[in-house]
Amino acid sequence: MSMITNTSNLGPMILQSLAPAMLYVPTPTMNYITVCDKTSMPANGGTTMRFMRPRALTPPTVQLGNAGIDPPAQVPQRDIIDAQMAFFGTGCVINEQVILQDQEGVLAWVSERLAVAMRQAEDLILRDYIVSAASVIMAGGGGNGDNPSNLGVSDFSLVATTLDTNNAYKFMTGIEGMDRFGTGPVRSAYFMLASTELQSDFDSLVGQGFKSVWDYPSNSSALPSEVGSVFNIRILTSSEAPVARQASANSNDVYYNTVCGRQAITHINQDGYSMNLIYRDPYFSGMLAQNATLAVKFAQAQALTQDTAIRNLLCTRLSTLGGP
Amino acid sequence: MTEYSRLAKGYFTSTGAAKVINLPFQPDYVEIINYTASAAFTDHRVLSAQWDVNMGQGFAITQVKNTTYQTDSVVSNGISTFSAGLALQYGARQQVVGATKADPIVFNVTAHGYSVGDIVIFEGLYQSSTTGMPQICGIPFAITAVGDADHFTVKWNGNQSNYTALSGSPTGAYVKKVLYPYLYAPGVSYVEAITTGSTTTIVTTAPHNCVVGQEVAFRIPSAWGTTQLNSLPNVVIPGSPIYGYVVSVTDSRTVVVNINSTSYSAYNSNQPVASVSGQQFPQMVAVGDVNTGGVVISSGSALYPPPSVNGANTINGPAISGAFVNNTSQGFVIGAGVCVTDTAAVLVGANTNVIYWKAYLHDMSLPV
Repeated sequence: MSMITNTSNLGPMILQSLAPAMLYVPTPTMNYITVCDKTSMPANGGTTMRFMRPRALTPPTVQLGNAGIDPPAQVPQRDIIDAQMAFFGTGCVINEQVILQDQEGVLAWVSERLAVAMRQAEDLILRDYIVSAASVIMAGGGGNGDNPSNLGVSDFSLVATTLDTNNAYKFMTGIEGMDRFGTGPVRSAYFMLASTELQSDFDSLVGQGFKSVWDYPSNSSALPSEVGSVFNIRILTSSEAPVARQASANSNDVYYNTVCGRQAITHINQDGYSMNLIYRDPYFSGMLAQNATLAVKFAQAQALTQDTAIRNLLCTRLSTLGGP
Repeated sequence: MTEYSRLAKGYFTSTGAAKVINLPFQPDYVEIINYTASAAFTDHRVLSAQWDVNMGQGFAITQVKNTTYQTDSVVSNGISTFSAGLALQYGARQQVVGATKADPIVFNVTAHGYSVGDIVIFEGLYQSSTTGMPQICGIPFAITAVGDADHFTVKWNGNQSNYTALSGSPTGAYVKKVLYPYLYAPGVSYVEAITTGSTTTIVTTAPHNCVVGQEVAFRIPSAWGTTQLNSLPNVVIPGSPIYGYVVSVTDSRTVVVNINSTSYSAYNSNQPVASVSGQQFPQMVAVGDVNTGGVVISSGSALYPPPSVNGANTINGPAISGAFVNNTSQGFVIGAGVCVTDTAAVLVGANTNVIYWKAYLHDMSLPV
């Protein structure tokens, strides 16, 4: 018989302790909302938001002459863009016994998760809308022989040239050069929203035009998800960027890289309905008041408000690189 | 019944093709009755059927009038649920056995399982490194005809000098179905053909979802000919995009646009295989509309009908016709699968059969 009291003959009554902090939840960066114009549709404003963009008038390049006669009048024209509001929501029904007996604050972390789910839905809706609505440019500047090819610097140049020629507005002013070793100035730029899976392809373009954020003269204006820039395009990456798996001519994954200028996409809410976190006490749930509910709902519409200022640059990956 | 369960019921007239039922939830139990076949006690009909989520997607238990009343089952293309909320979702890849050098192109894919109207994309359509029809890889196509279980048709002029037939199951040649092709509409469409004239007729490879009054822009790469349609450049008012308006909708893939293209270059879809890497596609993009009202009512419709996408109503409220709309949805599908024993009995019924359905989502399901 053992004389020593140890945990085999006198174990702790409660074996576990809950760590004081929750572990983080892997969550993609949400870039699509970043590049959107934001507007609000008023309450009692119907179902559909209408945008109006005047068309340019013909510049009067013909001289009047000396006849004293006015030239014919022009009829002003406009373009109209409509977008219908849609409503979204999700929630959880939580029995009071869970709230009563669980050791951690279940209502607190479920609330936080619902809020993140709502914001992620907002971004995914924008992402998929852009996939469906914006025209595409197939990358051809890479050397993998696929269609689309992997990204070459000429693809960035082509899409930036297209947007410049379309008179799109850039988002960012340039970053002036500084006397810091290895850095260089950054041009005023459009944004490209790309997949994190392409970061190794961007790295392979170092020396050919790609400049990592750590080579910016100052990182103060870099966004958290920014990985660098190529010519007039600053690149934001996210793991939720759209990828069509095995969809290229050679059965490789096709990446949708959204390149856009200002006002290309507009996100519309309705009278502040964009964020509603709703808690209903169990009191409201039947005669025994057993179940609480936590839910989120939001209203959102979206439209391409400047179709000339957005392109999806489709590409595959450099074939010699490994998978994600 | 407890307070969070969901119940729904309805009926429809079958066309013989799979029927999509949109609901505010995904059911875990569905039952259907073929009213027409039950009343007439018709041979080789599914009179009623049940499905539980625990049976697995695409399954159904059936009660059939073969020549006598009997039980049977459907093991594929039965009842299944769906949640159409994310783009770029695809069905299984299937090997392309062959394809005709013809207009339209007929593809041979063993037991493809597709229906008319399904949207598919192709990969690797090479017969050799320099021949085949890889020029159409990546373009979404609507299936326009189903010849038999192993053949289907897509509309594209493959009977041109740069296209060659496929045969012998070329390595890497696949097709797959786009599961949710119209989550948002209208959008970008790929152009199959252009007829120039005092108005311009556009044929797209998949439904365009445009309405009369839709404002559209074009992106025609130089190799495809009719670049004068492009919204930019504009030589008269530099920088100002040129748009057209849809003046009639011929069918789901054809619109007439009010652009006088009489003097424009001819459209050319005879693209060489050698230019596939980096090949650009001709596109038509919905950019707005000039409408001021919603969808017109019709016999049996709601007073304020929702916008429709590809001929089916969305689950939204009314909107201006031609507006950008969200068409995400969920619910269940009654498939056109056949019974195991009575292979003439189709789950969704025969054309004109009236089908009643009930769908449930239960609070409690045991075992958990």
